[in-house]
Amino acid sequence: MRQFFPVEDLARDERFVQTNMAERMADTRVPGGGSQTSSKKASSRSSTNRLTPDRHDASDRARGLMHGIMVGEIQALEGAGRTAHDFDAGDGSGDTIPFALKLDMARQAWDEARHVEISAKLSAWMGTEIGEFQENTVLFEAACSNDPVLRLAGVNRALEGLAIDVFTQMKEFGDLAGDPYLEFCEDWMLADEVTHVKMGSDWLRKVTENDPERRSRALEFQQVVDKLFSFGGARGDTAESSFQLARRFRELAGFTDDEVDTIAELDEQALAERKAAVRAMNAASAAN
Amino acid sequence: MASETLAAAVIGKVTVTPAEFRLVAFDAHELAALVAELAEQFGVANPIHLIVDEATPLAKLSAELDATSSDAPLTIRAESGALENMKQLTTFGRERAAESLGRMLLRARDRMRDDFADAPPDLELTLAQNAAWDAYCAGRLARRGHRVVQQRWRYNYRNRFGFTDRADEAFERLWAADDLGFAEMVAAP
Amino acid sequence: MGDAPAPERTTARAPFAPWDRRDLPGMFDVAETARRVGNYKWAEMKLFEALGGWIATVPELDVKMRLGTHCYHHAWHAELWHKRLPELREMKPERLTQPANEAMVRFMDAMTEPEAPELTIEKLVGAYRVLIPRFIAAYTYHRNNTSEITDAPTIRSLTFILQDEIDDWRDGEMMLQSLISTEHDVERAAAHQARLEAIMVEAGGIAGPGTIGPTTVMNGGSPTTDSTTEGDA
Repeated sequence: MRQFFPVEDLARDERFVQTNMAERMADTRVPGGGSQTSSKKASSRSSTNRLTPDRHDASDRARGLMHGIMVGEIQALEGAGRTAHDFDAGDGSGDTIPFALKLDMARQAWDEARHVEISAKLSAWMGTEIGEFQENTVLFEAACSNDPVLRLAGVNRALEGLAIDVFTQMKEFGDLAGDPYLEFCEDWMLADEVTHVKMGSDWLRKVTENDPERRSRALEFQQVVDKLFSFGGARGDTAESSFQLARRFRELAGFTDDEVDTIAELDEQALAERKAAVRAMNAASAAN
Repeated sequence: MASETLAAAVIGKVTVTPAEFRLVAFDAHELAALVAELAEQFGVANPIHLIVDEATPLAKLSAELDATSSDAPLTIRAESGALENMKQLTTFGRERAAESLGRMLLRARDRMRDDFADAPPDLELTLAQNAAWDAYCAGRLARRGHRVVQQRWRYNYRNRFGFTDRADEAFERLWAADDLGFAEMVAAP
Repeated sequence: MGDAPAPERTTARAPFAPWDRRDLPGMFDVAETARRVGNYKWAEMKLFEALGGWIATVPELDVKMRLGTHCYHHAWHAELWHKRLPELREMKPERLTQPANEAMVRFMDAMTEPEAPELTIEKLVGAYRVLIPRFIAAYTYHRNNTSEITDAPTIRSLTFILQDEIDDWRDGEMMLQSLISTEHDVERAAAHQARLEAIMVEAGGIAGPGTIGPTTVMNGGSPTTDSTTEGDA
């Protein structure tokens, strides 16, 4: 078995169709739309892009998000498993990671496996078929770095941080909608994710204790991934964002206020860039 | 064939706007043919105008009937997400489109009944009324051989009427029904 | 109630209750126990690494999830052995975290060789039809032969671990039975198992020759092999 495993080779059954960030960003449609159809009236029911039960498409949006969570958990499972496999136990230098970190990654693999189980059950409960929506493989891409410290930054802090934001939103949705399972399950998964983020924060500090340059590279990489995982501003503190930064849970997971503020700024930047890109594409399209 | 000069694609009594899509890979003629096929299956003889908003990936749908006669124009508005292949975004999804448009045609047919005279226009329906009507349409589509995931509509109904045994029983009644009036259909569980 | 005086109560009792049949003698001294535990830890590590690595390579969703769960089970076993080693006078656990012999290294290389997505049967055969049954055997032998009193901490770990091993073996075997559906699949599974078993036999088990003790007797009734001496790799 190879030491490092490329994202293109992730094994899936025939129900799954994969896509990547470039393909997703090539879709220039925006939720607000542009022409005169029913959307104006419909969106007027909800003052934000947030997933709330008063949206006309609440259940379908929740189904899509839950499927996204499920495939994200599959990739997180694969990523944790690969980190347990790819690096020998050692002192943390070079291609090695401490034995205890390997154990933590194996533990995370179990947690992620449970999350796949939970989200598959919830998907069935919500009437979603496995593979019904396309799978964006961006999460595993962040887990592919050859430097284990970058994996910690990209996966445990950025990806699992995103999971905290998404699960918080889904938990609230389940609570408001009165869904007895959704709120219950998301609460459990949220507890695990806070643990994973904290684990990442702790190990990142520990492994780079005597290597400030490596630490700053890792934090830089985390910012890149955080911006990527903002999905063009879909996550952020603004009303235009579909889901919010879960500040309280991020604090529990070891993020400082400054770090959360930085993520919020990155989200805003991503939203502005996405809007500018859509405007440019629409202008080019109109000119043709 | 669609051409840049055409504002709409027309097949028989079905017109699709726009004739050419820029943001999604839909074929207006394929859409028109599908609407015509569904209209025949559900016995909707009205002239139909399908207007697709390709600028949004959302999936809102509405149907507007000018009068209750079989020759009154029927306008269906669809956001592109209601017609696309969710596994290959921006491409046409025939199964999903058939399910979306089938529901709109069944709604239009319902509106031609006297006991639907009090039904508000689609865009003025409450979320709960929409959910009840969707369940009623989806059940009939399933019995007509269309691929419909019942649990999806049960979940949608539960989100509007509550996660209770009573709501589930009401959903089952709607799902199995073929001949309801508007008041019966939207009655609270 | 009656006139008879109540017997005097005493708190003096035998150190071992009548139902406690544990005994002192055990087959392994501290050094031999540490050696075996080091071999176990090495093999458990290799197994959890393999299971973790394979998760991304198997397309079957249920198998993917079980591998994730089992990956942690074996990591936990490795952790228990890692913590036991200093209690067995090995202050640098890495020193004894070793394969029993060179054949065990070859076994692990051969077991982890399958990577392609269509080789799920081979992956599962290696883990669940060859290696995990060997763990069950090694641990059972160790638990049944070590001193029940002096080595109680090892027994406690063995008992927990054995429960996992048996549960995981059952899971793996059931996954395999559900995947093996043609004659060709049967041949694939059997051929891979035979190849791996041959290397494992050469290794003599997870802790080397004597992993499960002497198995044959001389005419006079003495074992033909001595597990504690021949077990040293």
